[in-house]
Amino acid sequence: MDTMEEIRATFFQECEELLAELEAKLLLLEAGADDGETINAVFRAVHSVKGGAGAFGLDALVRFAHVLETLLDELRAGRKPCDEPTVRTLLRAADVLADHVAAARGDGPEVDEGRSAALVAELETLTHGEGGAPADLAEAEEDDFGFQPVALEIPSLEDAPAAAGGAWRIVLRPHGRMYANANETALLLRELGRLGPISVELDDSGLPPLDALDPAENHLTWIIRLEAPVAEAAVREVFDFVEGDCDLSVEPADGPAAPLPPPPPTDDLDIAALLAAAQAGPEPAPEPAPAPAPAAPATDAAATQAALTATPPAAAAPATIRVDLERVDRLINVVGELVIQQAMLAQRVTESGLARSSGISVGLEDLELLTREIQDSVMAIRAQPVKSVFQRMPRLVREVAEQTGKRVRLVTDGEATEVDKTVVERLAEPITHMLRNAIDHGLETPEARIAAGKSPEGVVRLAALHRSGRIVIEISDDGCGINRERVRGIAVAKGLIAEDAALTEDEIDNLIFLPGFSTAETVSDISGRGVGMDVVRRSIQSLGGRISISSTPGRGSTFTLSLPLTLAVLDGMVVGAAEQTLVAPLSTIVESLTPKAGDLHYVGGRDAVIRFREAFVPVVDVAQTMGFRDTPVPAGQGVAVVVETESGARAALMVDAIHGQRQVVIKSLESNFRQVEGVAAATILGDGRVALILDVDALVANARRRPAPAELKLAS
Amino acid sequence: MSKTILTVDDSRTMRSMLLLALEGAGYRVIQAEDGVHGLEVLAESGGADVVITDINMPRMDGFGFIENVRANPAWDSTPVLVLTTESDADKKARARQAGATGWIVKPFDPAKLVDAVRRVAA
Repeated sequence: MDTMEEIRATFFQECEELLAELEAKLLLLEAGADDGETINAVFRAVHSVKGGAGAFGLDALVRFAHVLETLLDELRAGRKPCDEPTVRTLLRAADVLADHVAAARGDGPEVDEGRSAALVAELETLTHGEGGAPADLAEAEEDDFGFQPVALEIPSLEDAPAAAGGAWRIVLRPHGRMYANANETALLLRELGRLGPISVELDDSGLPPLDALDPAENHLTWIIRLEAPVAEAAVREVFDFVEGDCDLSVEPADGPAAPLPPPPPTDDLDIAALLAAAQAGPEPAPEPAPAPAPAAPATDAAATQAALTATPPAAAAPATIRVDLERVDRLINVVGELVIQQAMLAQRVTESGLARSSGISVGLEDLELLTREIQDSVMAIRAQPVKSVFQRMPRLVREVAEQTGKRVRLVTDGEATEVDKTVVERLAEPITHMLRNAIDHGLETPEARIAAGKSPEGVVRLAALHRSGRIVIEISDDGCGINRERVRGIAVAKGLIAEDAALTEDEIDNLIFLPGFSTAETVSDISGRGVGMDVVRRSIQSLGGRISISSTPGRGSTFTLSLPLTLAVLDGMVVGAAEQTLVAPLSTIVESLTPKAGDLHYVGGRDAVIRFREAFVPVVDVAQTMGFRDTPVPAGQGVAVVVETESGARAALMVDAIHGQRQVVIKSLESNFRQVEGVAAATILGDGRVALILDVDALVANARRRPAPAELKLAS
Repeated sequence: MSKTILTVDDSRTMRSMLLLALEGAGYRVIQAEDGVHGLEVLAESGGADVVITDINMPRMDGFGFIENVRANPAWDSTPVLVLTTESDADKKARARQAGATGWIVKPFDPAKLVDAVRRVAA
């Protein structure tokens, strides 16, 4: 059943939102919000999760949500105080609830039953006071939702299940209240009629004189004989909605002449006097009693009006729509083709020698602007706030804090910063890792912090911002900072740097990103996991980003990630090498220069270096490295493009010529061909030719791998 | 002319399920996300034949919503069914006191839901 599957998907989507809302509101409570609406919102979130889960028979989820909801109901009603320990428990319960949701969805690990049960016990203790719920009470609660509840009450089951003669005698005397709630006698009779043939008698002997009549009350009694061999419960179910709003008796009918309840004594009516009074008085006589049957006219009127106006469903137009991601991707692809096609068209027009002022050229320029605009708009569709990643982090911080025994406050900033969906998705892992790292290695224990004159609670800040066309993520802590002595010592011990290497403070800090470096003396459960900062750096680099660290001893460290906003287009420098057209990512380029023959120096007679800003940087001949030709660009010819890799290493890429700068649509080489060393991706140029996008890091690393002194730094 | 049912629920899941069940039974369905919205929709659409409402909602809860419906002479005889997760007498009494015509216990199966609507619809 497809529709049910869709609703199920809707449910889990909604769960995500509800869980996020739940956590956000709980954090507000933790921060001291004490208004009724916040706790109400918390309650509603859990309540909705439970409601939906019930509909899909997700019993484990329902059970946990129910326990949580029960406590929240107490808090909401003010019967239990919403103090700090309670909120902390609620936060952990929210985490377990999220686990239950993930497990129910089928894409999460099994719920840690021990943890779940421990929290249930904790919640019940908070709900019922010390000692927890009595066992049988807990049982009773389970029963409450373990079964499909049936909306009827069975007060007298011991009665014969069916009337002896197959007939029931029902006496109904509605209260005014029943009509006020829009229940109708006629509808009840209709329902009874569905059980079997009925005959109805109306006893109007209770009607008071007209002048004593309260139009909002009812004085009529219906005596119904139902010929149906059904159980009493079935008869009573008809009156389920009106129980308490009417006098009702249901009993087996012995014979046709069952005694009526004694009619209330009525005064003899003086009809003549009544008529006289009615004629004399200006006011019309009120209707005797609320019209019992036929059905309520007001409802009919409403229906008719609805039919006449026939307004479409007036539910407020939604401000957002949900679109399958695949459709967006297809659109982006097509727009990418459009950009290419537009560039090709422009080139053809230029080649045809049309004047720049010709109508075609002008039109083409407009088209270019529009194309660019479409491209931007389409990219904006994929843009998502980083909030979806950020909001997963408080839980992580709580867990790591719990494991390390440190006190941590997470401050987030710039959650609304938008970035391409692909980038957002792949941000979670590095951020997770760096946060773990910041708490595990960065922050001190509460005692150490007090000794250092700091607040016992450490602060970790996670911020996102846009800076010059890239997104920057900063993770900073106010911990002890990087112990440079130790980092250096480890790097030397592991043979990562020479013992006498002269490194700046920044360079020492950045050593932690080297493969095989791990500062933790014992690989802890938290930051360990066999993943070092080098892996983080690699995953950032694979997104076209870079990562760096700055640290002040005793004051803390800051990791800074910078990433492109999208992985679909790239600003590139188009260069030519051995008749090939290549693209170098603009973000890596520092400067371009045309070196004279004398500017090139050779180390050991073969490895060229070039002097650039007080340092010698290695020269990488692109055409030669890529295998386009065997000899390098002759000295004195060509252009050197100085690039900087993610790790900060510089090199000069020698090419034949620079063709210009342009935005190119990235086409994955791996998905169309296979991975090629030194090539990041491909693009299609305006003339329809495929151009390779250089993987600058790989090119430089490749060049450095050759047996040559890596970096020759001048004493600057 | 099929009957018009207004459902008021803040849960998207619940709204989808109500829509599926009620449209499947041939009703015309209009939807709102909370009490305030419910009153707006009711006013804009010129009323409904039956109203189904949740209790726990932001802005205006189900009880407040029913009170407002009953206070308006145009709708005071419109049947209102309450969606409730509990089936105990307390909750029913509370719903009835607020002016509810009847209730539907969650989780509902579509047949029961449609049956309850049919019972109160004129």
